Amino acid sequence: MTVEGGVQYSKIAEIKGPLVVVDDVDNAAFDELVEIETTEGERRLGKVLEVGNGKAIVQVFEGTTGLSISGTSAKFVGKVMEMPVSKEVLGRVFDGLGRPKDGLPDPIADKFVDINGEPMNPEQREYPKDFIQTGVSVIDGLMTLVRGQKLPIFSGSGMSHNLLAAQIARQASVVGKQDDFAVVFAAIGVQYSEAEYFRRSLEESGALKRSVLFLNTADDPAIERIITPRVALTVAEYLAFDLGMHVLVVITDMTNYAEALREISAAREEVPGRKGYPGYLYTDLSTLYERAGKLNGRKGSVTQVPILSMPSDDITHPIPDLTGYITEGQIVVGRDLFRQGVYPPINILSSLSRLMKDGIGEGSTRDDHSEVSNQVYDAYSRSQEVRALAGIVGKAGLTEIDLKYLELGDTFENEFLTQATDENRTIEETLALMWKIVSKLPKNEITKIKDKHVEKYYQEK
Amino acid sequence: MASNSALESTIDKILKDTEQGILANIKSGLDDSQQNLDAAIPRLESEYDKIISDGKKEADKIEKQITGSSDIEARNKQLMALEEAVDKVFSTALDQIANADRSGDYSNLIKTLIGEATQILGTSEILISTNTKDRDVVQSVLSQFTGAELSSETFDCLGGIMVKSKDGTMTFDNTLDARIERLKPLIRKEIAAKFGVGI
Repeated sequence: MTVEGGVQYSKIAEIKGPLVVVDDVDNAAFDELVEIETTEGERRLGKVLEVGNGKAIVQVFEGTTGLSISGTSAKFVGKVMEMPVSKEVLGRVFDGLGRPKDGLPDPIADKFVDINGEPMNPEQREYPKDFIQTGVSVIDGLMTLVRGQKLPIFSGSGMSHNLLAAQIARQASVVGKQDDFAVVFAAIGVQYSEAEYFRRSLEESGALKRSVLFLNTADDPAIERIITPRVALTVAEYLAFDLGMHVLVVITDMTNYAEALREISAAREEVPGRKGYPGYLYTDLSTLYERAGKLNGRKGSVTQVPILSMPSDDITHPIPDLTGYITEGQIVVGRDLFRQGVYPPINILSSLSRLMKDGIGEGSTRDDHSEVSNQVYDAYSRSQEVRALAGIVGKAGLTEIDLKYLELGDTFENEFLTQATDENRTIEETLALMWKIVSKLPKNEITKIKDKHVEKYYQEK
Repeated sequence: MASNSALESTIDKILKDTEQGILANIKSGLDDSQQNLDAAIPRLESEYDKIISDGKKEADKIEKQITGSSDIEARNKQLMALEEAVDKVFSTALDQIANADRSGDYSNLIKTLIGEATQILGTSEILISTNTKDRDVVQSVLSQFTGAELSSETFDCLGGIMVKSKDGTMTFDNTLDARIERLKPLIRKEIAAKFGVGI
């Protein structure tokens, strides 16, 4: 931050969608922050997207509605967009641009950080291997989240991903350690009722004091959505790497972010890629997702759970497709389970946490975790096949062992998968439930668990 | 007599059989009850444990809710009180700046501000406007800047200058107000530190 301000230019050449083209501009820098001032004195923020030939293209975060060529001026501030950060941001609610939304003053900043973040030195990265308990059995038991991981939730429109996001934000904790834990929650383009639900849910559960909320609602300008995940991650990085906290960043909904990116790209008349999204969508997404991680010699970590709704439940859509290339696994919310009224409706057969193996076992969760999880996956998969078979031949045509798998599938969905939105299960409770499922099978069907674990945990009838 | 003894022995046998039957029933009933009781004990124990653990969880949850919301409430009140104090310091400082003596070093400040503005705008062909208080000071140093003119219009500000290129396309706000505004977050931090916050 400097005492010198920027030059204000009053020659606006064009206003096109969310973009303002300013003429006769010298010395503007790429990504520089711009203050657009209207004739009425209203100020809007923007950033430089392109400079050259005496012109600067400015992307206005708050939209260009109501701006006219005459009377509008653009002030180039001489710095990139920064977020004031301090420990005081915990327990606060901000809008999508990082301005207080809770009626309280701006936080007293410890420092001002460029919202684009510093790229992590790959050499400095530490492999994520510490367990985060979300209190949601299906995640903790079968697709365990580890500190520093990026594990997206792929959902569809209208499904209960936001309930799940709020539950994870409320319940997530680091088990057995006294380390500080914080949640940064970024809502991008959500409905007002959802934003209010997130705020109230964290407030009423007492989790707000360790959380920071960034709320960009559906009626906020779409362009603001480009900034929301960046300010959220900037705060997360500060809490993690400056204050040594373990930070879980929940971002919902990344699809709205990608839509905003497409809007700008279309306004800039760029050559469109798949489904009209810009060709650099992959690169752009990676600038966000790659901000998760742990650094050697630093105490904290940034873990990301981005949530995206797949248009038409299409997992091959560019957004989930490109997200899947960057992240370390995915949690898939299933439409069929949702229709059955199961919460959380997670389809375990399409879901996977690639880093789970390093975050579970003796010293983290329990020595039998990996094996019992494999057995549950295997048995549930078989139960699905049996269900399909029963749909054709009827239950009467099934063998005794098939019937046991059928029963196992029901127990899995009704007792393990199904969980109340305020039910916070410990990892021990989750493992006990997994053993209850496995114990539906006769011992000779248990092929993925060592005998010593079977002897110890198998629940005889 | 013989028939009487046969009758008695039959009655005895029936009585004995009935007695044995009843005793066996009692024993089996007792065994069943014992078995049920034995079976119920671990179930009851596990239910008891579950009730206790659920109760503990619920208590923890309520405790978190209460402490969480009261912590937030207390922190928010502290923030509001701090902000009020910072604002008071700020407004006192601004009053002092507004009423500061314009003689002495003040003309050097104006010279610096004009020099900075011409450098940033990249032209010396500029039109300067200021407030009524600073007009004379600006006028006195204007001869040192070729191409610079003083606007006849004045505007309300604490001090300093607003510089416009003569073609009207560029403006540079170098008033004290703008400079303070730019540094406000840092100044707030300094003031808060005086109150012992954020050190």
